Amino acid sequence: VARVFVVVEHRQGAIRDATFELVTLARELHTKFGLEPSALVIGSGVRRFAETLSAYLPETIMVEGEMLADFRYETYAAVLRDIIEKETPLLTLCPQSAFGMELIPRLSVELSRPCATDCVRVEMDGPRLVVVRSVYNGKINSSVSFASSGGYLATVRCGSYAPAAESGSVGTIREYRCPSFGTPFKTEFRGYREAASGAIDITQAQFILSVGRGIKDAEHIPKAEAVAAKLGAVLACSRPVVDKKWLGKERQVGTSGRTVKPKVYLALGISGAFQHLAGVKGSGVFIAVNRDPKAPIFRAADYGVVEDLFKVMDALTERLGS
Amino acid sequence: MDIVVCVKNVPFTQEADLDVDASGKDVRKDNLVYVINEWDNYAIEEAVRIKEERGGTVTAVTLGNEDDEEVLRRCLAMGADAAVRVDPGDLEPDAFVTAALLAAVVKTLPHDLVLTGVQADDLNQGIVGALMAERLDLPHAAVVNSLRLGDGKAEITIELEGGQDERARVTLPALLSIQTGINEPRYVSIMGIRKVRSKEIPVLGLGDLGLAAGEVGERANLLISLGFSQPPPGRAAEMIKGTPAEVAQKILDILKERGGVV
Repeated sequence: VARVFVVVEHRQGAIRDATFELVTLARELHTKFGLEPSALVIGSGVRRFAETLSAYLPETIMVEGEMLADFRYETYAAVLRDIIEKETPLLTLCPQSAFGMELIPRLSVELSRPCATDCVRVEMDGPRLVVVRSVYNGKINSSVSFASSGGYLATVRCGSYAPAAESGSVGTIREYRCPSFGTPFKTEFRGYREAASGAIDITQAQFILSVGRGIKDAEHIPKAEAVAAKLGAVLACSRPVVDKKWLGKERQVGTSGRTVKPKVYLALGISGAFQHLAGVKGSGVFIAVNRDPKAPIFRAADYGVVEDLFKVMDALTERLGS
Repeated sequence: MDIVVCVKNVPFTQEADLDVDASGKDVRKDNLVYVINEWDNYAIEEAVRIKEERGGTVTAVTLGNEDDEEVLRRCLAMGADAAVRVDPGDLEPDAFVTAALLAAVVKTLPHDLVLTGVQADDLNQGIVGALMAERLDLPHAAVVNSLRLGDGKAEITIELEGGQDERARVTLPALLSIQTGINEPRYVSIMGIRKVRSKEIPVLGLGDLGLAAGEVGERANLLISLGFSQPPPGRAAEMIKGTPAEVAQKILDILKERGGVV
């Protein structure tokens, strides 16, 4: 029987949400294509994670070791290589996170098993595994298959599947012995650094006016600030604005910034990269203004305006002035 | 400190209308403008800054045809000392073959540090850096958003989610995949590019890299493109039309009715 493994991602004592999205995918691959799903829990003191996963999937494989406390490619890859070679799953899944991006491609070469990254869908077409990837700024979907192999690896874009609920039954937990590692390691984990919290907390805002790449230049930021002030909105932004240092990191909305849930989200000149959209899920009314009618943001917003953001800002200022 | 930076010329698709081409496996590119991949722009900037501070060399490498040479000229104008282009000929290498080719070039160059962008703006696989690291047997970190060099080591931070970073120390030589925002890339003027126009850029063919035919040929690809399609519309937004004044009024109406704000 073909099997699918979900590599559980955890950090600082908690399982990452993305893992439960992969549980949904693994169950779907079971229902539709008969793949038998298992979770793989690797870490130090992670029995409770294995117990958590056993409420979601019929089998959990656990590897515990002090050296596995924090993610390091050298140790995690050695463990995974061992398990995958022995258990020969058809497919091993991991989130497309810094963790998955470091782990899966290298492992794919080491194991001589092809991998696809950042997949938004994983399916089977007969015996053949097919993934869908979102390319060219979210404007095109690409279907990809693999050269024939005994097994495959894939990372899945966060938010592509809804997080799973508990299954209602209790799965088994199987333990693998942690291998011994040759030291010294070439990478050394040094700790975590939290985002610098600025004076402003955009997560508390009821009304957010957010600007993106379309704002074009630092000199236009005061204009956006003025419109936001007039509307009684808090000014936020997408990643490119922070990358260019036009606004501080504390104002960034998205997976690498803040997740917000305002009553109103007004996005000006933001194309709608999925990392940004993931940060506004659950907002009340979502209005998007962008010059590009094909911008992915119009697939997520409630209301859309295809227009130059400066014209809209000027018109808003004028209306509010009277 | 000798640094090799792998860069890519990519079509700029932010505000472009994209059509699937006749093959059904790519987009029509004849009307698209090509630019340096945004992530790679930060990678080359980081390399040049390190060189300016500590000395050494920066070599830019790309896999591409003659038109893609402009991305290397740009890197030279930014301060790279040398550039190498690998010409794939008629082959369309996937990420695995791309990594094999680039790694083969890096092997021939002195390298204390190899940098590349986290991902490319076209297919955003975010995979070539890690695959190269495996081929070169170098430590690798994905999504590096700060980099400081110490004695034979690099102190880095790796971008996680929700504004959290991981701090790590990596033994050199290492391969790091660079995230946008790590620095402020310098402006490249047309004059600057003109100045490096006559600089010779060696071109390597697939046969020049010492790789076995099975590693680079058409059948070496592990990823098989089945086809491109337009994504489903999702929950398409209700579009507001009219003059900017009408649009502004409608937005204010929506804010009042639906948002309970303003």
